[in-house]
Amino acid sequence: MATFTEHLRALGPDGLVALLELRRDLAAPPPASVRALAARATTRASLDRALATVDAGVLATLDALLVLPAPVSAEDVAAALGADAADWVADALERALAWADEDGLHATPGLAELLGPWPAGLGPSLSTTLARRTPETLAALADVLGVPDPSPEAIAAHLADPAAITELLDTAPAGAPAVLDALAWGPPVGRSPSRDAPGHTAVSWLLQHGLLAVGDPQHVLLPREVALARRGGRLRAEPPVRPRLEPTPVDPGLVAGEAARHALEAVRLTAELVATWGRTPAPVLRAGGLGVRELRRVAGALDVDAGTAAVLVEVAGAAQLVADDGEEEPVFCPTTLADEWGSRGIGERWAELAGAWLASDRAPWLVGTRDDAGALRSALDPTNHRPWAARLRAAVLQVLADAGDGRLDPADVHAQLAWRTPRTAPTEHAVRAVLDEAALLGVSGAGVLAPHARALLDLIDGAVEASGTDGRPDESDGWASRTADALEAVLPAPVDEVLLGGDLTGIVPGRPSDRLSALLTEIAEVESRGAGLTVRFTEASVRSALDSRTAEEILAALGAHARTGVPQPLEYLVSDAARRHGQVRAGSALAYLRGDPAALATLTGHAAMRGLGARLVAPGVLIATAPPAELVEAVRAAGLPAVLEDADGLAVRLTPTAHRVRLRRRTVPDPALGRRRLERVAADLAGTPDPEPEDQGTAEPVETLGLLREAAAAGREVWLEVAGPSGPSRRRVRVLRVDAGRVRVLDAERESELIVAVHRIVGAEPAEPSSGEDLHADRSAT
Amino acid sequence: MDGPLIVQSDKTLLLEVDHPAAEEARRAIAPFAELERAPEHVHTYRLTALGLWNARAAGHDAEQVVNALIEYSRYPVPHALLVDLAETMDRYGRLQLVDHPTHGLVLHALDRAVLEEVLRSKRTAGMLGARLDTDDVAVHPSERGRLKQALVKLGWPAEDLAGYVDGEAHLIDLVTDGWALRPYQQQAADSFWHGGSGVVVLPCGAGKTIVGAAAMAHSKTTALILVTNTVAARQWRDELLRRTTLTEDEIGEYSGARKEVRPVTIATYQVLTMKRKGVYPHLELLDARDWGLIVYDEVHLLPAPIFRMTADLQARRRLGLTATLVREDGREDEVFSLIGPKRYDAPWRDIEAQGYIAPAVCTEVRLTLPETERMVYATAEPEDRYRLAASASGKNRVVEQLVARHSDEQVLVIGQYLDQLHELAEHLDAPLLTGQTTVRERQRLFDAFRAGEISRLVVSKVANFSVDLPEAAVAIQVSGSFGSRQEEAQRLGRIMRPKADGRTAHFYAVVARDTVDQEFAAHRQRFLAEQGYAYTIVDSHDLEADPAE
Repeated sequence: MATFTEHLRALGPDGLVALLELRRDLAAPPPASVRALAARATTRASLDRALATVDAGVLATLDALLVLPAPVSAEDVAAALGADAADWVADALERALAWADEDGLHATPGLAELLGPWPAGLGPSLSTTLARRTPETLAALADVLGVPDPSPEAIAAHLADPAAITELLDTAPAGAPAVLDALAWGPPVGRSPSRDAPGHTAVSWLLQHGLLAVGDPQHVLLPREVALARRGGRLRAEPPVRPRLEPTPVDPGLVAGEAARHALEAVRLTAELVATWGRTPAPVLRAGGLGVRELRRVAGALDVDAGTAAVLVEVAGAAQLVADDGEEEPVFCPTTLADEWGSRGIGERWAELAGAWLASDRAPWLVGTRDDAGALRSALDPTNHRPWAARLRAAVLQVLADAGDGRLDPADVHAQLAWRTPRTAPTEHAVRAVLDEAALLGVSGAGVLAPHARALLDLIDGAVEASGTDGRPDESDGWASRTADALEAVLPAPVDEVLLGGDLTGIVPGRPSDRLSALLTEIAEVESRGAGLTVRFTEASVRSALDSRTAEEILAALGAHARTGVPQPLEYLVSDAARRHGQVRAGSALAYLRGDPAALATLTGHAAMRGLGARLVAPGVLIATAPPAELVEAVRAAGLPAVLEDADGLAVRLTPTAHRVRLRRRTVPDPALGRRRLERVAADLAGTPDPEPEDQGTAEPVETLGLLREAAAAGREVWLEVAGPSGPSRRRVRVLRVDAGRVRVLDAERESELIVAVHRIVGAEPAEPSSGEDLHADRSAT
Repeated sequence: MDGPLIVQSDKTLLLEVDHPAAEEARRAIAPFAELERAPEHVHTYRLTALGLWNARAAGHDAEQVVNALIEYSRYPVPHALLVDLAETMDRYGRLQLVDHPTHGLVLHALDRAVLEEVLRSKRTAGMLGARLDTDDVAVHPSERGRLKQALVKLGWPAEDLAGYVDGEAHLIDLVTDGWALRPYQQQAADSFWHGGSGVVVLPCGAGKTIVGAAAMAHSKTTALILVTNTVAARQWRDELLRRTTLTEDEIGEYSGARKEVRPVTIATYQVLTMKRKGVYPHLELLDARDWGLIVYDEVHLLPAPIFRMTADLQARRRLGLTATLVREDGREDEVFSLIGPKRYDAPWRDIEAQGYIAPAVCTEVRLTLPETERMVYATAEPEDRYRLAASASGKNRVVEQLVARHSDEQVLVIGQYLDQLHELAEHLDAPLLTGQTTVRERQRLFDAFRAGEISRLVVSKVANFSVDLPEAAVAIQVSGSFGSRQEEAQRLGRIMRPKADGRTAHFYAVVARDTVDQEFAAHRQRFLAEQGYAYTIVDSHDLEADPAE
């Protein structure tokens, strides 16, 4: 019989590539050998990842491989499941979740733990349960069953025959078949009834006859073969069946129209978000993310609800159009990529948004909910990502694609996903949220995948992988341009003309071209949007445009777009606004001169005024960019007796300028003061009593060193406590030298000289000048 | 797909008027969409819940509405909007007001849950009587109007199947010798009659009185006509005498001066709403006879007490007439829910194009204030500013120039402030007509003006409404009541009767530049501008330079 490793080796280069494509985690980092590959492929982590991507049919197949008695063939699996399993078996083999040799199919080692404890709701096999019985009970069982050989194998072989079980049950007490049936479909564990409980007789009889096994003192187990016999050889009550896709047909024109409208709107709103934050960036919360109030402000500025605003902000973030600027007081503001994005065509702009959304692991539906700590989750919060979000979006899109031209309920989509990846089935809430996002962005229309979004499907494999790196899908394969083209094909042609009315409104009968839209948003207020655009011209709206254009330019620009001409009231409005524009002007100056107009007029050309930035702004008023004192000096030099005045117009007395440098006064120490301090220190010291003679040891490092130095100088002996590998030891030594972190001592008793590192010294204590006794005062065990 | 209609997401519809299918589209959407603005190129309609329910009441269903939008829309219509529209329309008629043979007026439910919701609402408290069975509740007959209003506010409008009282029969016919109903008048009267009750909106001078007469001829019952003032009452009487079989003895006037109750009675709002010791002594007029029809002239002016009384009159047919259903108090909805939905509305420019009202040119003359007046204005208290700006002395000179320009035409000078008007009257040597002028004197002046004996008339706001001066061709407005849109339109209306020689009427508004006067003027002009009357703006010194124009 072969092994899993040999099976992998036998795959050959092409087979291995195919496997690594499906289970990419096996290839990173590259395994050194097939043995290493096999080891990795059977780890819990890798198997878990692989199981996350297979559908319920494959999982049922793997259950079958685990529980059916070997050898197992594909036909056995199909029979046990009651469904055609050929595709599922092939799928399991491709992913190396199962392997095959001449004996048949096997589940990959390690799977049993992951799919347990009771795969397919089946308990341990008879041979396992019987092996736990003592030889005496086995003999008794063999006797009851009439099996000549009391070995577990022989009894198991006897009981594995469904006919034998049926026959046996004919003689069973009432209730015994019911007990078996209760456990048959799993879980195969039942509580043992107490002695006087109703089921006690039946359970005892079943245990006696080997049809139940003892699990632990409180529980009984139903052996696998018995359960299968009761199930009629089937693994599942209902054969696993993929839920049918039953989409409600939708008019394709409606889908394209709805999706295109939303796509346009999403691009417009994102552009507006970028513009809004470009003007006033939004502060970042200390925990990262956008505060509730800021989000509400965005929603207000874009005229959408907060949920929509959260999605838009998150998508803009995923597309790297806005980002945290990382400054000391961080704000969210548009990136340089946003400028590049804004300059592209509508289709490309949308493709980038949709691609970024698809590949993003952000979970905008969490915004506004509370985390485990009870804190409100905010939009753009760094923790608002879910590793499976990108996979979920891809899966939802795939389901929509499979539904073709029909609409699916969110519940149906969820059912599909629950079948496709049962082990990582998302919550229905998340599925609904993703569907809503798709609708909002115009990826779907009327619940159907939009034709222009189909090119996104090509992105799915790449996108899921790319999400691990930087969240931006790879654009090399041209999906972006295909998506862009597809969108532009369904969009209504842009309209480059506006109908201007005498009531100071303008109406664009259709989608305004980028140029026209920019012009109108600059000089008018938008009144309503939709298939067309209506704007109103007001003095305020025109006035704001006058900062960057003249009245003539505005009228010329409008005239170029106005099919029916610019009506007189509008023309008048613009020129009237222009007339008033700049009636009052502001500028900067540091000082002014006021007074006799004629006198001031003589000053303007005077040499003394050169370099002061002096300028007459009105008769009798002159301003300068120099400070007042300097100006006064210059004017006096020019021969005019100028006076400096304060804010109330009162003359200020001008004292002659005297230049000074500012210094801090140096303080001279007072000898008397220093002396007093010293005296206090001395008094404190004097107040401290001398240590008792037996207390003269110390553990203070500084003090210890001092003591040792003293001893060295005195040539005296000390008790030195030194930390060693087996605990501190204490010895009586003569200190020779203390230097550079080391202490050189002479152990008189052992007649050896040693060097002790200072950090190992725990403490020291002066030794009384000895007469030679008490040399063995080593207190440590050593 | 290249229709004339563009559907906006705020539920407005843009109709491009120059489109070949525009007329067809207008007819298709008119039953359910409210005309909001009608400037030169694109008319704006709005879809409102009330409008959609009125369409249901008139027998149109959601499918028809959806089809009309899809058929005439240039771009795909947002799906959500169509769904919302169908759902809104579906709310109509779940409840019915029916006349039960034994229990009288009964609210009958086709949807029991809705009835339960309505019964539990605070809004209907005190309007409903005993529960008759699971689906029927008795309604106090006097609460019919208020209940309907409350149900509309709750979003479950009832279908009123209880019908109208017939009223006392009285033979009235139109006497069409030498004239005939104009097509739009006929249409308006018919659509009112089929609808039962409602409001007809026609421009000033388009013959609303005749629509009223036609409605009376349909009804052939006694009728009560409510008008704004005594002069208008006399005009109604004269018009009815001329157009119908009614004789002088059949028409009564119920005003401050006279209190006659006849088969056709014309009463002023003022008399009805006069309060003495906390009661309205003249209200009983409403019950004095079994009126078969009540006509509300100038319904946009309907005073609040009349609103309350009208709620009690839901069993009688009601006809509202107006040119400008814009109320600065925003109570248009109440007019619709108490008197009835808009049954007919025509853009002013359309009637003008048919030649039934005089073409009009509106001009705003901007007057630059002299330096001294600007300083006075700049330093004035905010509450005095409008008066200061509106009665700027320079306006006299402008009016003089304008009058000189139209020396051979009948000119009205209209203003708000009496001292300003006195000054102007003196300046122009023209008679002055204000609220203080007696009714007799007013009649005399109007007659003399109509006859061409005097060609200049300075009037205060008493001449805003219901004054019929067919040959007036020029109106000069020097001041008004702040930003009132309907006042502006009504004043234009004074000169819109078609002239014998088809002349164009001229409307001038003299405005002080860079003051609140200018801001208010912009607001005042909004209604007319939205009806397609674009104001040309000229500077006052241009008049000076070119007086001969």
